[in-house]
Amino acid sequence: MTSLTVGSRLGPWMLAAVRAEQMRVLADLLDDPNQIHLDPELVRSLGMGDRVINQGPANLGYILNMLTIAARDFELERIHVRFVRNVFADDAVTADGHVDDVDRDRVHCTVWLDVGDAERAVEGTATLRRQLG
Amino acid sequence: MTALPVAGLAHVPGTALPEGTFTISRLENDQLADVLGQSPYLDAGHVHPLWAYIATQRGIGVGIAELCAIADFDVNDGPMLGSVDIEYSGRLQVDVQYRVVGEVVGIERKSGRRVGTFDVLTYRERLLAPDNSEVATVTNSFILPRRDR
Repeated sequence: MTSLTVGSRLGPWMLAAVRAEQMRVLADLLDDPNQIHLDPELVRSLGMGDRVINQGPANLGYILNMLTIAARDFELERIHVRFVRNVFADDAVTADGHVDDVDRDRVHCTVWLDVGDAERAVEGTATLRRQLG
Repeated sequence: MTALPVAGLAHVPGTALPEGTFTISRLENDQLADVLGQSPYLDAGHVHPLWAYIATQRGIGVGIAELCAIADFDVNDGPMLGSVDIEYSGRLQVDVQYRVVGEVVGIERKSGRRVGTFDVLTYRERLLAPDNSEVATVTNSFILPRRDR
C-alpha cells in the first residue's frame, strides 16, 4: 500500500537522454506533422535552437510515468501542466513532485519536469484519488 | 502580460470541432510506453494515462494543421503546446471505440520577451465511452507565434 502524506516526494523519475528517434515514433502516435520535432534545420531557421524539440505531450508523459509509479494505489483524477521551456534531443530530464495536501481519499500534488540540473521545462498540479476495493 | 481579443478571429471561440472516434490499440499502447521509457514492472494491460490526450487529439475530426488553420495559422510556423489540463472520470481501455467531441474555447493575443507576439488558442475535447459516459475531458492551449504581427 502506497503511503502518501503531506511533504512526500513522488520522484525522481529520470531519462538520461531524450532521443530524436523517439520523437519520430511519437510524431506518428500523436499524428503530429509539426516539423520542429523532426527537422533540426527548421528549428534553426525559426531561431528556436539547433536540435529537434521534443513533443510537449511526451514531456507530460514523463510526469505521468512518475505519478504512475509513485502512487500505484491511486487513480489519477486530474492533472494540469504548463510548458515553460522546450526540451531538446539529447537533453536529460527528471520528473518529480511532492504532496501538498491530503484530503480524505484525495492527494493534491505539485509536479514538474526539469532539464539537466534544475531548469524547469514543465510545471503543474495533480490530484490523485485512492482506489476503492 | 495583457491578453487582447484577436482582430478577425472573434468568431473562433465556440466553434464546434468535427466529431470523431478513436480506439487505443494494444500495439500503440506498447509503443507509447516504450518511447516514454515507462517502467516495465507496471501491470500488464495498463493503459498509459497520456492516451487521454492522444485519443482526443487523434480522435477529434480535425488534425493539428486544420486546428491551426481555424486560427488562421500555418502549422509549419511552429505551434507550441502551452498547457494541458486532463480530468479523468473513467478508466482508459484498449480495444474500446471512444467518441470524441470538442470545441474551441477561446483565442487571445499576447506578447512576451521570448516569443514576441503570439496567440493562445484554447480548445476542449471530451472522450466518451460507448455508453456515452465521460472518460476524460482534455483542455489544451496552443501558443501560435505571430512573427509577422
